[in-house]
Amino acid sequence: MAIAVKLDDLLHDRRMTLTELADRIGMTLANLSILKTGKARAIRFSTLDAICEALSCQPGDLLRFEEEREP
Amino acid sequence: MSKPAPPSAALPIAHALLRILIILNWAMVPVILALLFLLPNEQWILKAFGLFPSPDAARLVMGMRAIAALGLVGVPLNFVVLKRLLAIVDTVRAGDPFVSANATRLQTIAWVLLTLQLLSIVIGAIAKSISTPAHPLHLDAGFSINGWLAVLLTFLLARVFAEGALMRDDLAGMV
Repeated sequence: MAIAVKLDDLLHDRRMTLTELADRIGMTLANLSILKTGKARAIRFSTLDAICEALSCQPGDLLRFEEEREP
Repeated sequence: MSKPAPPSAALPIAHALLRILIILNWAMVPVILALLFLLPNEQWILKAFGLFPSPDAARLVMGMRAIAALGLVGVPLNFVVLKRLLAIVDTVRAGDPFVSANATRLQTIAWVLLTLQLLSIVIGAIAKSISTPAHPLHLDAGFSINGWLAVLLTFLLARVFAEGALMRDDLAGMV
């Protein structure tokens, strides 16, 4: 997918683990892992809202469009 | 987020009922085979209808045998319907009915119901042809508007389940 999820970078910058984030926003670790590894097919606004609030970031900091290269 | 539906007694009852119907359906095979081949059914049928050997009586016996043979064809068809219904009930019990397998099952059920309706028309036609004013034969077979509506409804349900399964797949990847 051309949309890259930069959750790993954000967590690293804030010295926060995925488990801590999951606890803070009330999401399961499994679902958050799906998002982190780029396997999610869609994201709810409520999830985006909770992550942005917990990490003090903008949606654009979390998601980025990256051109897909032809193999 | 909507709450999951509370457990209902309907599903275990449906499961048990379908299992009983599957057994009863197969139990019909030896009964029909016995009627066709083992019992001295010609004399038995003549006696039951109060008939004496005649061309009309022979036609009646022949017709009844044809209906019994068609009934035998109906047994595996009924099994296909019951077995798939049971599988669908089990997926509902497991809490995940909107899967593409259920759409396929409903599609199969719809085609089998259509075949059973056609079979019913043939049986109804045979019954009508062997029925005489002196010995009327009333069989619950033939064209049934309810039966054809059930066929249509099942095809529609199959489509609904196919769409539901696609939506479920989409939802599975949502966080």
